[in-house]
Order: sequence, then C-alpha cells, then structure tokens
Amino acid sequence: MSKNLRQLVLPSNFLRFSKRYLHGPKRKYPVNKEEAKKLPVFQYPVSKSSYRRVFAWGNIHTGALGIPYTDKEQRPDHTHFIKYPKRITFGEKHEVTTAACGFGFTVFAVNSQDENKVYGMGINTDSQIGYHEVRHGHPLEIIFIPKPIHLPFKNPVESKVLKVSAGRAHLAILTDEGLFTLGNNAYGQCGRKIIPEENYTMSNYIHHISDVEGENIIDVECGQDHSLILTEKGKVYSCGWGADGQTGLGHYDNAPEFTRVKGDIEGENIVKFASRSDFVLAVNDKGEVFGWGNTEYGQLTLSDGSQQVATPTHMKILEQVGKVKSVASGGSFCLAVNEDGQVFTWGYGLLGVGPNAQQSREPIHIPDTLFGRNDFQPNSRVEEVVCGLFNAAAVTNLGDLYAWGRNKNCCLGLGNDKDQYFPLKVSLGGFVKKMYCGVDHCIAVCEPFCM
Amino acid sequence: MSGAQQTLAILKPHVVKNPFSLSRIKNIILNANFKIVHLKRKTIDLREAEAFYGEHKGKFFYNRLVTFMTSGPCELMILTKENAIQEWRQLMGPTKVFRAQFEAPDSLRGQFGLSDTRNATHGSDSPESAMKEIEIFFPEFRLETVINF
Repeated sequence: MSKNLRQLVLPSNFLRFSKRYLHGPKRKYPVNKEEAKKLPVFQYPVSKSSYRRVFAWGNIHTGALGIPYTDKEQRPDHTHFIKYPKRITFGEKHEVTTAACGFGFTVFAVNSQDENKVYGMGINTDSQIGYHEVRHGHPLEIIFIPKPIHLPFKNPVESKVLKVSAGRAHLAILTDEGLFTLGNNAYGQCGRKIIPEENYTMSNYIHHISDVEGENIIDVECGQDHSLILTEKGKVYSCGWGADGQTGLGHYDNAPEFTRVKGDIEGENIVKFASRSDFVLAVNDKGEVFGWGNTEYGQLTLSDGSQQVATPTHMKILEQVGKVKSVASGGSFCLAVNEDGQVFTWGYGLLGVGPNAQQSREPIHIPDTLFGRNDFQPNSRVEEVVCGLFNAAAVTNLGDLYAWGRNKNCCLGLGNDKDQYFPLKVSLGGFVKKMYCGVDHCIAVCEPFCM
Repeated sequence: MSGAQQTLAILKPHVVKNPFSLSRIKNIILNANFKIVHLKRKTIDLREAEAFYGEHKGKFFYNRLVTFMTSGPCELMILTKENAIQEWRQLMGPTKVFRAQFEAPDSLRGQFGLSDTRNATHGSDSPESAMKEIEIFFPEFRLETVINF
C-alpha cells in the first residue's frame, strides 16, 4: 500500500533513485553480517590532551600574526589582512598554554622542556617582547616570527608560566617565580621607578616582582598603560597611568609601584578583573561588579554624571542582571555574563544590538539566540566574553566563537571588512578554549574536536 | 608659494612607536599634497607641554593630555599647503576617537586613534595659534624661507 502511495506523491525521476535508499548501496562483495561482528573495532586516532590549535587573524603588517609580510612585487598572494582565522604553525610545534594580545604584538606561553617558556612577535619598539638585535646595538623594531623571550628565572627549565598579559607597549608575565614586567615604563606601568627620557628601544631590562606584601600573585591584567595584579587573598594592586583614575588609588597621578587599591573593594574577595582600555571592571566572589577609571561614555553607569572615578565604586545597577561570572571592558563599552550564560552590554559603540552606534547607561540583554541557543542546542551558554578596543567576542561552552563590533583591519575574522552589528559565529576549525583580542588582531587557542 | 598657509602637526607618542601606522600616516599626508617643511622627533618636556596646552588648563582632561604628550617621543612637523589649517583638520577628523570611528572612519583619528586622549595627531586650529605653536617647538623657523622656496 505504501508503495502505491509513493507512486502517487513522488515524481517518477525521483523514484529511480529512491530504490537505492531503500535497499542500500549495491556492493560488489556483500557484507556477511556474522563475520562483521567478529571483526575487531579500531579506535580512531585521537589528539593528545595537551595539543592546541592556535588561530590568528587581523592585521598582518605589525607581525603580530607570525606571518611574514611580503611585498606586492615579491609575492602574488600578498595580503594586508587575514580575513578568516588562520591556523598558525607555531601552535603545531609548541604546546601553547596561554597567550596575550597587545597593541600590535602577540605573546605565547608554552609548556616546554627547555628554557624557552615565552615567545613573542610583532611590534617591539619599546622592547615589550624582549631585546632582539641583528648586530650589536641595532635592535629589531618588528619581529615577524615568534622569538623566545629570555626571562631571568632561578630555575629556567622547571619554571612554569601561569599567565601573560599585554598592554599598549608593555608586557606582564606571571610565573610560579613571581611577576616579570618588560617594555614601556613611561607611566610606571611596569611597577618600577620612572626614569625620565629612558630609551626603551635599547632597553634590555626585565623587572621582577616576587610577591606583594608577602602574598603570592595569582592573576595579572594589563590595561593600555596601567597594570593590575590580584593576590591569593583577593586583594588588588595597581600601577601605571592614573590620569583617568584607572589605577583606582584615589588620585590622578602616575603610580610607579604596585599599590593596594581600596575604596569599595577593600573588604571584598575579588576573583576576576578586566581592563583593555582606561577603565577597570572587577568581580568579587558574590558576583558583584565594581568599576573605576574613565566613564566619559557611561561605562561605569554612575548617576552623578562625572567623567572619571579614581576610587573603586560598586555598580549597583548591575544587580538586576544576577550573579556576574565574567566581565570584559573595551574602549568605550563593557560586557558582562551572568550565571545563566546571558550577555549584557552597556556604554557607547556597536553594542551588538542594532545597526547604529548607540549609548546606553543601562545594561542591555543581547538575545541568547544570537549566541547559538536554539532548539537544536538548548544548552549553549556563553562562558566568557573578551573585548578589544572597538570589537567584542564571546566564547560558548560548545566551543563556538561569536564576534561583533568595529571590523578594524578585519579583526573580527568574519571574512569581510565590514562592521558587524550583532554577534555572528566565526568559522574556526577547533573547540575554542580561550580568546584574546588586540587592537587590530585576535588570537584563539583551541582544542581539536576529537580528544 | 603665495597664499600658502603653515600649520603645526604633531604625531603623538603611540603612533611614533608603531612603525606601520607612522609610515601610513606620512603617506596619507604626502598624498594629500601637503609639503613637510620641517620635521623633528623629540620628547616634549613638561614645560613645553604646559605652554602648548595652556588653553585647556583647568579642564578635567588637562592632566592626562600633558602626561600623555610627555610620555615619549613625538614627531613634530610644519606642513604647508593652501588652506593648510582647515585641510589638515579635515584630514584628522573629530577629536574624540570613539565617536570619530563612526562619524569619519577614514580620517586619521578614526583609523589610528586608540582612545580620546591617544588620538594620533594634533593640528593647529587657527593661523594665530599655528604661529604660536610653531614658535614653541621650532623657534628657529622663519616664514621667509618657505615663501622664497
């Protein structure tokens, strides 16, 4: 009866093919089902759990992608920008644990058996990725391939790098032997005394901070020209440029040494902070958000209309979004993720909720559907948000990456150079674990799909 | 060169530290038919910066402007062209970078600015201030040399 029905409904040329679907493919040697059961089952090859895929995209000129820039005359396949995520060979040769994107340079921390634990590439005019010279007295200003940064470890082979963070022209490397800072120190952002007229290009100096007031450092974050560190008891210390109050020390002067940040966060146990530009967001263990620094575009949602805040202030307006798990601070806007994986945004710019640059002092909920929560994957939730200066990105628990904002030098990785007004999935050949945004390039550290 | 106007252009410290941006900006300047009469790279000291930004004294951004300008070497240029002041300001775009990147994305500030303070370039706003600013950084500059050029 069903056959008759099919003849009625389907056109005749379709019927010719449908036989193959009904009876399976025609085999030369028919499968003996009894014998097939006896055959051994092979395990497909899986990747090592330590293996990572590293993708990079954005501006190629600065050398931050590790892809040598070629002249148009020399190479026909010459490009200015990498529009799609490109898997870079450094990730295949080294076990990348963490990375950092500065303004035109990239740093990788690797798990290695030798003395080279940190590699850097990109702009090096302030010796922010170490001193590399071609011949004596002639340092390289741009490095196109990853070069090891030699740190003055006590135990060079067995030390481990825990985190790296990069600012506009300085770098902080957190290791189990303490914090190392290098690069520009014009505002004291390396945590050492400011020397007037210091020549950073020729500088070979790496500053070492073993602990602050007897407490171990567990986290570090670099803003554009300031640095923040977190100790094991949840205290925050800062140094660097304070002209917008981004050091949170109650004044607007430079702070050449790491100094305890007080204000509203004094008694709180801070677990996470974020700062890409000239303001800082910090989250405590109860999921409350604190902010300080520049608020010209309403980033800190203050009601009194002030433009700068030099002391940490509790952002009460964020209580409506629930317990905040992760925050990100861009150039003029902020992002927050709550426990349910919902993303909220406020500030000024392409916030991801419409086709125009807009300003909002209230947190706006970006619809979850845009981050891949639908009937086919109802468990998709945003785990982490990251901000560049003008663009933003979100990583979900399913390993997907979503990007939106200004597409400066194709830094969104969406295959075009147009601005993106709402979150859009970036096509990446890996399960995204960590995402890093610079000003015009991005790095994603991924796991293979099959582990 | 009768009718030519002079203006002072400053490429700010963060641009000078980025060789890629620096060469792009210089190309843009030359492609816009500006002539660079004088060029020098120097670190502005506090006294010069305070004299330079004297008009902004008392505003909330004065401190950050002065500390930023003295943080590293700048490139100081005297540009000349007919109607140079107006055209250089047109090329630079709006002061605030976070707004300039939407209002004038192809301007210098829209492309190379990093924040409202680190807005890549400076330009004089009137013939009087151009003369005053050139006097601060190029005391040896004589207008006749350009006119006779």
